[in-house]
Amino acid sequence: MKQASLENKIVWFLYPLPLLCLLTLWYFYTLDSKEHQFIFSSPAQVWQTFLRLTYSGELLRNAAVTVFEASIGFILGTISGAALGLSLWASRIVARLSKPYIVAAGAIPIFALAPIIIVWFGIGIVSKVALAFIATFVVAIGQAYQGAVTVEPKYLRLMQVFGATKMQTFRTVIVPSSLIWVINAMKLNIGLALLGAFIGEFISAEQGLGKMIVSASGTYDMATVYVGVVALVVISLLLTSLVDLSERRLLRWKR
Amino acid sequence: MVTEIADALSVAALSFAYVKEHKRQSIISDLNLNVRQGELISILGASGCGKTTLLNLIAGLIEPQGGAITISGSKKGQAVGYIFQEDALLPWRTVGSNLRLAAELRHELQDSIEADLQEYLKSFHLTADIVKKYPGELSGGMRQRVSIIQSLLFKPELILLDEPFSALDFYTKLRLESEFYSLIKKQNKAAILVTHDIDEAIAISDRVLIMDRAGKFSNEFIVDLKEREPEDVRGTTEFATYFHQIWSALKSNIAFEGI
Ligand SMILES: Nc1ncnc2c1ncn2[C@@H]1O[C@H](COP(=O)(O)OP(=O)(O)OP(=O)(O)O)[C@@H](O)[C@H]1O
Ligand SMILES: [Mg+2]
Repeated sequence: MKQASLENKIVWFLYPLPLLCLLTLWYFYTLDSKEHQFIFSSPAQVWQTFLRLTYSGELLRNAAVTVFEASIGFILGTISGAALGLSLWASRIVARLSKPYIVAAGAIPIFALAPIIIVWFGIGIVSKVALAFIATFVVAIGQAYQGAVTVEPKYLRLMQVFGATKMQTFRTVIVPSSLIWVINAMKLNIGLALLGAFIGEFISAEQGLGKMIVSASGTYDMATVYVGVVALVVISLLLTSLVDLSERRLLRWKR
Repeated sequence: MVTEIADALSVAALSFAYVKEHKRQSIISDLNLNVRQGELISILGASGCGKTTLLNLIAGLIEPQGGAITISGSKKGQAVGYIFQEDALLPWRTVGSNLRLAAELRHELQDSIEADLQEYLKSFHLTADIVKKYPGELSGGMRQRVSIIQSLLFKPELILLDEPFSALDFYTKLRLESEFYSLIKKQNKAAILVTHDIDEAIAISDRVLIMDRAGKFSNEFIVDLKEREPEDVRGTTEFATYFHQIWSALKSNIAFEGI
């Protein structure tokens, strides 16, 4: 008990250390060299750009657009994918028929789909939501189905002994026991949803962090690029901790 | 005066084989069994001889290749309680919610089982606050007791038990055996107990059957004891006689396997 808390303290204390080392290295490397600053910017420049973009509202607006696109795609894709994946449990034949299609869909890189989706849905927000949706949907189906078919047989036997209907078995055993898999899909999907939205913006968009980064890199404004990248990282971490929170609520029985 | 006691279970000419890659492994062959209402029987037999398979067949979890299973007049698969060799409590549900599962699936009012639930918890020496815990927070013996209560609340006519008391310490085991025996007698149910424990089989059953490697019953012992309290019965000479008979029959069955 005491050992663990001491270990926690040490870990928490050491967490910022690698980051500080990196920042220091970066600071001295770019300190007196215009050439290095051109390619790597510098901590001071990035900080100033961050403040400027924050005050102008540009950063928040772009971040909000990206988060909005990714979240809507994530929610729609994960929920519908999980629902479909779980219900594939009901029919072995349908599951077997759809398997090669799901695998094939999962094998298409989202980058390859992006131009098509943008042609279909335009350069506005809808095409980015669609990309985030597609990226998350496939993973959610796969994980949920895997969860549904790997249910422990003894629970199914219990339901059979109690004379449960297929629908009752689905609700009382399949769904709850697959929850771990669905949550796992959620974890993977946060990154994929952001990637989907980002790629859409990167290729063609009017706003969003992807758009901000492309425009800035076009003019070698590395400071803005770095601000955009860090913003993406922060968003991803925040969304991940949101999923962790819901995981702890949903899987309370696991302690 | 003649009283007709109905058969709670009748199994006739039952046969079952596992088929794997065109190889048939016969497990149960031409097996007959009748269990009367209010009767508790035990099945002893070497590991792997087919005891669990037989219970699975009776519960309707697997289909026999031949023979018939009739459960108190109705078709099989109905009103059979089954306590598995390994408990199957749903880990994401609390103990209380697991206990109310059968009623929930039958759309019965939860209030209707509440009195029984409390009563059973007491009989099996579990405290009332256990209902708020999750199965993962219980010991193996507690989980097994919860499984038994879960089955009883399903109100089956026939109860199948696959080594239910094997994970318990000796004293708890004696107490539960005694509780279980008097419960079956009081409610006039039928029960089939699979066990490896000869003492247990004698102490709480009306009949002990020995299953051989061919998947048939090779011996049958009618257990007629004057004393039934498991705590006391084990010391009697009657008990020792039964033990001796059953053990010699069982030995000849296990021996040729050459373990
Ligand atoms: N699903 C299965 N597929 C193929 N063979 C099986 C299967 N389940 C059991 N068997 C075989 O059937 C035989 C009987 O198994 P069963 O579980 O009924 O034995 P048991 O008498 O209950 O043994 P134990 O006392 O160890 O629980 C064993 O030889 C086992 O290998
Ligand atoms: Mg067994």
